[in-house]
Amino acid sequence: MSNDDTTLTISRLIAAPPSAVWNAWSVPENLAKWWIPAPIECEVVTLDLRPGGGFVTRMREAGANDFQPHVDGCFLEAIPNERLVFTTVLTEGWQPAEPWLALTAILTFEAQDGGTLYSARVLHKTPEDSAKHDEMGFYEGWGTAIGQLAGLVER
Amino acid sequence: MVNQQAALDSLFHALADPTRRAVVSRLLKGAAPVKQLSAPFEMGLPAFLKHLSVLEGSGLIHTEKHGRVRTCRVDAERLAAAEGWLSQQRAIWQGRADRLADFVESQTAPEQKS
Repeated sequence: MSNDDTTLTISRLIAAPPSAVWNAWSVPENLAKWWIPAPIECEVVTLDLRPGGGFVTRMREAGANDFQPHVDGCFLEAIPNERLVFTTVLTEGWQPAEPWLALTAILTFEAQDGGTLYSARVLHKTPEDSAKHDEMGFYEGWGTAIGQLAGLVER
Repeated sequence: MVNQQAALDSLFHALADPTRRAVVSRLLKGAAPVKQLSAPFEMGLPAFLKHLSVLEGSGLIHTEKHGRVRTCRVDAERLAAAEGWLSQQRAIWQGRADRLADFVESQTAPEQKS
């Protein structure tokens, strides 16, 4: 079941109870404040926290007029203060989609030491498939920035 | 593995800033003295030197002093470490967790219930 090449896990202890961390995830205005790094602006279009509910965010780079696609997915599970699972392989209402980056993210909020152990386990398809996002090259500025730099190195 | 991850985190942190990315881009064309590097940026030298020290701390650039001139050069191998797609995704999710923590902690700190 483990697939080290395509799964990543990160965790972080947050000095606040799980309900506060859930609140930062479940209220659109709050999510918009941290989901995408500044100076890129985040717009939370849909945040329907129930199985089959849509999850849509858009991003706008500093100085740009239009918002660009960011995440367009669907929640698979939403247990307040405990667990949130979404995928980009389906969109709202279980509609199958072919996202530019296929992933399923499993987010857990565990009470620990008076705070919250927040963990994200993110499952991807094959490395070859996931490498496609490099070509798309805009994800939060990383693809672009690092792609450009890598291009210069390879010359 | 943990150390390797910490090193990657510092590398992505260094690359997260547009000024620092511009410096690295410039250095990929060849080594350059600090004064020349700082010229395109509208910021004071102390602020610019802070950016250089973040870059140097991440191992992305090295600096050498000859007389009064400090010259910077890029470490292409370190930069290559940031290229893998999983490393990039990890940096994105780590960044999100860090920003989430900062946001939640700044919200709850003033009215902390004991």
